[in-house]
Amino acid sequence: MGPEQQVNPAPVNRARVWSGRRWIAPGMVAGSVLLAFSAGCGRLLTTAPDAADVFDAPLAGLSPADLAAFLEGDEQFGKPFAISEGLGPIFNNVSCASCHSGDGRGRPENVLTRFSILGDLVPELGGPQLQDRAIPGAEAERLPANVETSRRLPPPVFGMGLMEAIPADSILSRADPADLDGDGVSGRPNLVSVPEFIPAHEPGGTAPALGRFGRKAQVSSLLLQTVNAYHQDIGITTDFRPDENVNPLASRPTEAADRVADPEIPASIVRSVVAYLRLLAPPAPGGSTPRREAGRALFATVGCVSCHVPVLRTGPNATPALANREVPLYSDLLLHDMGDGLADNRSDGDADGREWRTTPLWGLRIMRDFLNGQAFLLHDGRARSVEAAVLLHGGEAQVARDGFAGLAADQRAALLDFVESR
Amino acid sequence: MTTRPALGVTLRRTMAVLLLGLAALLTGPGAGRSLADDSLAAAPARPFVRGGYDDKPHVSGLFGRIAVGGYLEARAGWARQDGVTDELGIEVTRWNLLISTRLRDRVAIFSEIEFEDGGSEATVELAQVDIRFMPAFNTRAGILLLPLGRFNLAHDAPRNEMVTRPAEAEALLGVALAQPGLGVFGWIDRPGGARFSYEAYSVTGYHEGLIADSPEGTRLPAGRRNFEDRNASPAVVARIEWSPERRAGLGLSGYHGAYNIYRAGGLEVDERRDVSVAALDVEAPLGPTQWSGEVATVRVDLPPTLPGLFAGRQAGFYLMGAWRFGEDWIARMPGSSFTLAARVEAVDFDRDLAGDSMRALALGLNFRPLPETVVKFGFERGETRDRFNNLGAFARLRLGVASYF
Repeated sequence: MGPEQQVNPAPVNRARVWSGRRWIAPGMVAGSVLLAFSAGCGRLLTTAPDAADVFDAPLAGLSPADLAAFLEGDEQFGKPFAISEGLGPIFNNVSCASCHSGDGRGRPENVLTRFSILGDLVPELGGPQLQDRAIPGAEAERLPANVETSRRLPPPVFGMGLMEAIPADSILSRADPADLDGDGVSGRPNLVSVPEFIPAHEPGGTAPALGRFGRKAQVSSLLLQTVNAYHQDIGITTDFRPDENVNPLASRPTEAADRVADPEIPASIVRSVVAYLRLLAPPAPGGSTPRREAGRALFATVGCVSCHVPVLRTGPNATPALANREVPLYSDLLLHDMGDGLADNRSDGDADGREWRTTPLWGLRIMRDFLNGQAFLLHDGRARSVEAAVLLHGGEAQVARDGFAGLAADQRAALLDFVESR
Repeated sequence: MTTRPALGVTLRRTMAVLLLGLAALLTGPGAGRSLADDSLAAAPARPFVRGGYDDKPHVSGLFGRIAVGGYLEARAGWARQDGVTDELGIEVTRWNLLISTRLRDRVAIFSEIEFEDGGSEATVELAQVDIRFMPAFNTRAGILLLPLGRFNLAHDAPRNEMVTRPAEAEALLGVALAQPGLGVFGWIDRPGGARFSYEAYSVTGYHEGLIADSPEGTRLPAGRRNFEDRNASPAVVARIEWSPERRAGLGLSGYHGAYNIYRAGGLEVDERRDVSVAALDVEAPLGPTQWSGEVATVRVDLPPTLPGLFAGRQAGFYLMGAWRFGEDWIARMPGSSFTLAARVEAVDFDRDLAGDSMRALALGLNFRPLPETVVKFGFERGETRDRFNNLGAFARLRLGVASYF
C-alpha cells in the first residue's frame, strides 16, 4: 500500500485507474466461462433422450387435450403413496412406477406372487396375490400352505392402448385351439369374466371378454388392470373398489392401521392413469442391417412367427392416434402351451397351468437401458438373455425352439440380433 | 437388528465421555470465570457459532432492549431434468423476522419467524431463552435449531454463498431443523484465540413422518416438524466444536432418539424404533479462500413389515470453497465485493441399495454490494439415481437475492 500511495497520491484517481484494470481479468474469465458454457450448452443443461428410445413417450399425433391428459396420468402413474396418504394396509409397492422401471418391465425384486387352488382365487386366504408388505400396525401376508403359486415379473406398460385397440375378431381369427392346420401351434383366447364395476361401454367391459393383458391374458380391460393394481399392489382404494384389501389370515384386524378414509382416490385419478397407459407409445425398433434382415428371415423360417406375429392392426378408434394403424408387437395375444419347463401349474381364467400369452417382443432393444444393463425375461424373469429365454421354450414352441438351437452360431446370432432390435 | 441397540449404547457412552470431558474442562485452567469478567456483560464480541443465532447484523448492532431484524430471500430459477425444462419461475423463498432481546445481560431471547412461499407457510424457526451463568455453562430452552451439523446452525440465505442449500443438509438432515428442547451450552476460550464449545439438548426429535409421510423412501425432513413430541419420547442431540481461530472450526454432532409411537396410555404398542445421526463439520480458511464442509451418516430402525422400501442407512456430504475478491472494485460502492464459490455434494439415501442417490457440482458467482446483501448467480449440474438405479441428469440456473435487514 505504501509504494502505491507514493505513486498515486490521489486516492480517487487510484481507485478509478485500478477499478478499470481490475475488470480485465475477471472479464476475460467470465467471457471464457460464457463461451465454454454456450459451446457445451446441450450437455451442460442436460439433453432429452429421443422419444424412440424411451418407454414413456406419448403416441405421435396426439391432440393438445390428449397430451394434457397424458401428462396428468403420467404424474399419477409416478406418484408414490405415503402411509399417511393411504398406502396399504397390505401392499406390494408404493406406486405404479415403482414396479415398472421407466415404464418397462420390472426387476426380480418386484416379482409378484399370485396364488390359487385349482383355479379358485381363494380371496378367503388372501388370494389371488400375495401382499408381502404392510404398514406399521398391519400384518403382511404369508403364503398359505397347499396353494399353487406363480411368480410374475411386472410387464412393460407401453403400447397397451394399441393392444386394446386391436379388434377382438382380429385376434380370435388367429386362434386354432384344435390345431386344425396341424402346425403344432394351437393358440386360444382367454375369455374372462368382468367385474360389475367395469362399465359395459369400457373396452373389454362386456363379458365374456377377450383377455389381452397380463401374463396369461387374464385381464380384458385397462381400467380393470389399473383398479386392481391400485387395490392389490399399492393398497389404494378407489371409487371402483372402495373396500380395503386386508390380510384375512392376520392374527388381528388390520384395517385400523390404515387411517385414511375410503375411497382413497377418486375415479378421476384412476381414469387419468388409464388414459396415460392408453396413450403410451412403444419404442421404435432399431434400424435395418443385412444381419438383422437375415435374422428376420430366420425368425420366420424357424417358426417363431407362428405365435410372435410381427404385426397386428388396430380398428376404428375415437383417438386418431390409435385408429387403423399397424401394431408391431410380435404377439398374437393368444394362449399357448409352453411346456413343462415354464408351466406354473396354476390356472388363471381359461388359461391352464401350462399356458401363457405370447409375450410381445417390442421394446427389447432398449430393455437393458432401464435395468442397469441386465435382462429379465419370461414371466418370472428367470432368463437373463433372449437366447436363454428361447431355449426355455417348450410345448407348442418346442419345434421352433429346436429349430433355433439347430442353427449355426452366426445364424443364431443374427436371429437374436433381430429380436433384440425390436 | 442386533446392531441397532448397540449403536444407541455407543451413543450414550459417547455422551457420557463427552460430559466427563466437559467436566474436566470446566474444572481446568481457564474455566469458571466470574460473570463480571467475561463477554456476557455486553453483546458477545465473538458469536457462539459464526453466522449463527447471535451473529446477525441486527444483533451486533443492538441498541435499546429489543432488536428487530431479519432477512429476505428471493430467487428466479430455471431447472431442467433430462432435457425437459421443469421449472421456470420467480419466488420469494422466505422472509424471516428476527427479534432478539437481552434482560440485564443474564437472559437473552432470540426468535425467528419464517414466512415461506409468500406467507403460505409460517413457522417459528427459533424461540430460545438463554440463561447465562458463565461462559462454560449456560442453559437454553425453547424452539431450538438442533446442533446437528454446522449448516443447520448457520443457514441464513445471506450467509450461504450458493443459491441453494447443500442436499446433505436440506434433503438428508432436514435443514432448517428446529424443535422444542432444553439443555446446556457453553464455551471455553483458550490462549491464542482458540475456543472449545459444546451444546447438548433434549429435543422432541424426528417423528414417524420420516417413514409414514415419505413415500419415496426414508426421508428425515418428512419427520422434522415435531412441535408436540408425538411419541412423548425425547431425543438427545449434541455438538462439540474445536475452533483454533475465528474462521476455523471442527465440529462433531450426534443425535439419537425414538421416532415412532411405541408407548401409549402406559402400554407398549409397538417396538421402539430409533434414528441415529452423526455429523462431522469443518470450516477453515485456506489462503484467500474459505472452505466449509459437512458429512453425515444416518441410521434408522425400520418396521419389519416394510422390507426393501425404506432405507436403514443413509449418508451424505458437501464441501464448499469460496473466494472473495474485488473488494471496493466498484468505486461508488465501498464495501462491495465479489465471491466465486464451488460446491461438490453427494447424498446416498439408501446405502443398502444401488440407486436412490444424487450427486452434484454447483458453481456460484456472487456480488455483495454490502456485506449483508448478496446477489447470487448459481449453476448446478448433477445426477440422480432412482430406486431402479436409472440415471437422471439435472441442471439448474438460479439467480438469487438475499439480504439481512
